[in-house]
Amino acid sequence: MSVIAEHGGIAEHIHPEPQGFVRKYIFSLDHKIIGIQYIITAFVFFVLAGCLAELIRIQLMNANGGFLTPDVYDEVYSIHGSAMVWLVVIPILTGGFGNFVMPVQIGARDVAFPWLNMISFWIFPIAGLMLFSSFLMGAPVAGWTEYPPMSLQGGAGTSMWCAAIFLVGVSSTLTGMNFLVTMLKMRAPGMTFTRMPLFCWGQFATAPLLMIATTALAAALAALFMERQFGVPFYDPTKGGSPVLWQHMFWFYSHPAVYIMILPAFGIMSEVISVFSRKPIFGYRLIAFSSAAIALSGFMVWAHHMFTSGIAPYMQLPYMVLTFVIAVPTGVKIFSWLATMWGGKIHLTTSMLFAIGFLVLFTFGGISGVFLAAIPFDLHVHGTYFIPAHLHFVLVGGSLMGVFSGMYYWFPKMTGRYMSELWGRAHFVLFTIGFIGTFLPMHYLGAQGMPRRVATYDIQFQGINQFESICSFIMTAAILIFFINMIYSIRNGKPAGHNPWGARTLEWQIPSPPPYYNFKRIPSVYGLPYDFTEPLPYKHLEEELSDTPVAVGAH
Amino acid sequence: MNLVQIEHILAVIGGIAVFLVASVALRNDWKTPGMDNQVFKLMLGLLALGGVLAALTGFGVIGKA
Amino acid sequence: MAVVSIPGGGEVDQLYAETRELRLQGFLLFLVSDIVLFSSFIFAYLYLRNSGQGWPPPGITRPSISLAALNSAVLFGSGATMHYALENFKRGNFSRYASLMLCTIVLGILFLCGQAIEYTTLYVHDHVSWAGSGIFGASFFTLTGMHGFHVFCGVCYLIVLLLQSVHGVYDKNKYFGLTAGTLYWHFVDVIWVVLFSIFYLV
Repeated sequence: MSVIAEHGGIAEHIHPEPQGFVRKYIFSLDHKIIGIQYIITAFVFFVLAGCLAELIRIQLMNANGGFLTPDVYDEVYSIHGSAMVWLVVIPILTGGFGNFVMPVQIGARDVAFPWLNMISFWIFPIAGLMLFSSFLMGAPVAGWTEYPPMSLQGGAGTSMWCAAIFLVGVSSTLTGMNFLVTMLKMRAPGMTFTRMPLFCWGQFATAPLLMIATTALAAALAALFMERQFGVPFYDPTKGGSPVLWQHMFWFYSHPAVYIMILPAFGIMSEVISVFSRKPIFGYRLIAFSSAAIALSGFMVWAHHMFTSGIAPYMQLPYMVLTFVIAVPTGVKIFSWLATMWGGKIHLTTSMLFAIGFLVLFTFGGISGVFLAAIPFDLHVHGTYFIPAHLHFVLVGGSLMGVFSGMYYWFPKMTGRYMSELWGRAHFVLFTIGFIGTFLPMHYLGAQGMPRRVATYDIQFQGINQFESICSFIMTAAILIFFINMIYSIRNGKPAGHNPWGARTLEWQIPSPPPYYNFKRIPSVYGLPYDFTEPLPYKHLEEELSDTPVAVGAH
Repeated sequence: MNLVQIEHILAVIGGIAVFLVASVALRNDWKTPGMDNQVFKLMLGLLALGGVLAALTGFGVIGKA
Repeated sequence: MAVVSIPGGGEVDQLYAETRELRLQGFLLFLVSDIVLFSSFIFAYLYLRNSGQGWPPPGITRPSISLAALNSAVLFGSGATMHYALENFKRGNFSRYASLMLCTIVLGILFLCGQAIEYTTLYVHDHVSWAGSGIFGASFFTLTGMHGFHVFCGVCYLIVLLLQSVHGVYDKNKYFGLTAGTLYWHFVDVIWVVLFSIFYLV
């Protein structure tokens, strides 16, 4: 069947419906299948990296260690961090939700380059396997940041790590280009930038970061690889190189990467909070433009990770001030979401519970981030447990809460069935308790001076660490509940219909799961999707839920 | 005349030729629309600059041996 | 089928025009990310160069500037011929297009030969090597080598384009492949303007 509707000025290079299992589900060109592939793969890596996290926590039950040797402990936390950042959070938020939701939300039939999309997906699991295979040849031991000179001395696994992260970077770069072109060129008629759903704005701000920042990381990784394999001196100070150079190049990527990991989650929050408060989003333009402002200023603050690395004081001050400035657009978002909820008719679904959890925990992590931006405070706590406390509050309390919220929200769209709300609530309660119990005391430990990345520690911290480890087991149990709930609900969940939440964005106006061509006719858009008192601002959607055949034209 | 001098002379000739050709192309294309042509114009401008640099280097005005 | 006109061409169908727009933007974004890749290495080079060891570091001979100037003129010249090749193709002057394209390819290969001479001289005569000459060898050979690799890929790309156009893949209205090839080749030239300035002129 060739699907070519009469169109309203958007490209229609739609591929024919794939036949056969392999073409349909393995090497699929369909953005929805690719999105689900990303989500499943990322969850598999999430389980692996989560097991590594539990190894860390078991080791820290005892002040004298004893569970892992110090070398293995170093390998475990290095791979845990790398995998969680590059194989879980970034792919699931951009490749996963971005692929599944964004093209439908802008009223397109696919992304701009479906082939490229398939390639960028298939690079990702290969790179992930390469990353985990570095355990077989002596995994990297210098943490996820791999600062030289230590990373120059590690086993062959560090070179494997370089290659794996380079490949993930290629995948991200291709995804970023693809999304950017899709959103610039393939929006439905009438879908102006100021009518685009806020999830798409999150992706739109993320895509250039993916494209530009990740390429910079590729250069840094290539140089590290060349230095390790061929002895080309970039970073080795004994040959004239500079270890600080790596830190500059690495953080020039990795600070924007922080926003790559949070901006799509902001987008999910905007959708979920508006829908479950049954109120128009407060300050649509503020939220949209603050995403762009965060993305832009994210490129100008990287050296705030390097206050203790010996950069000149006149360079430190602007970085500190700019980092404070980034808190402003973030605060704008938080207050817009609060104002959206204010006086709304709040439906406490699991998705909304995670959104509220996000608001609380991410704000907490954001505030400790402002602490860390202050040079005097940073000098005091740099390299202590305060840093893992902060980054887990923004990454788990922020991005991962966003992922869970998005999973409960879009699961009915992906499968046509609800996830169990009862078990979802259990997941939320246990996860939040476990999370706060694990990471809140780390602030105290850090302020007391317990160093991070060390296999043994002072006996006075043992009680708190044991408490944290027990709480982390609760968190693991919660995630186990989530996975069982998800897998069970794929076949046995309650049927959900096409629009179970009463949402107004385009993806909810078509059947669940969406047909491969998304829309029988490309809709026209004449308003924002957030005004719950008005009729839907779309035209040409009447036939989507009926049995009428797809409008067919000559190709 | 040794090899270096020949290289200098060829660089001067080539640089001036590139500058002239790129300038003429830039003037002819000045009003063309479309994103690809905008990029072309930018690149032709930089190409003319490159021609000037090569010619000046050939003259020995700039550059360190 | 709706008909629109695209700049510089006749009338083509809308599907082609839109696909062309997508590809053009995708290709430009690819070039942007390539620029970022070069910029990162250029940043690394400038950072190392200003790390207080003096430049060139003691005991290192700089490559010959006259050869570099000639080589640059050759590469910039290939940019000019490429530009007129595309112009002639747009106007339908196929034979002139083919000869200009051939010129571009030959000049590109000449540039690579010049670079090979430069590398050999540095390695054999001055004993400057990639891994054995400190930060000079690292930054110089990595950056110019990366650029040379881009030129090599560009030459291959142009050869493919020339063969394709001889076989009639492109016509007066549909020639996006040639536009992309020209963009890529100009990009390679323009990167060389920067590399030439920072390695030989300052």
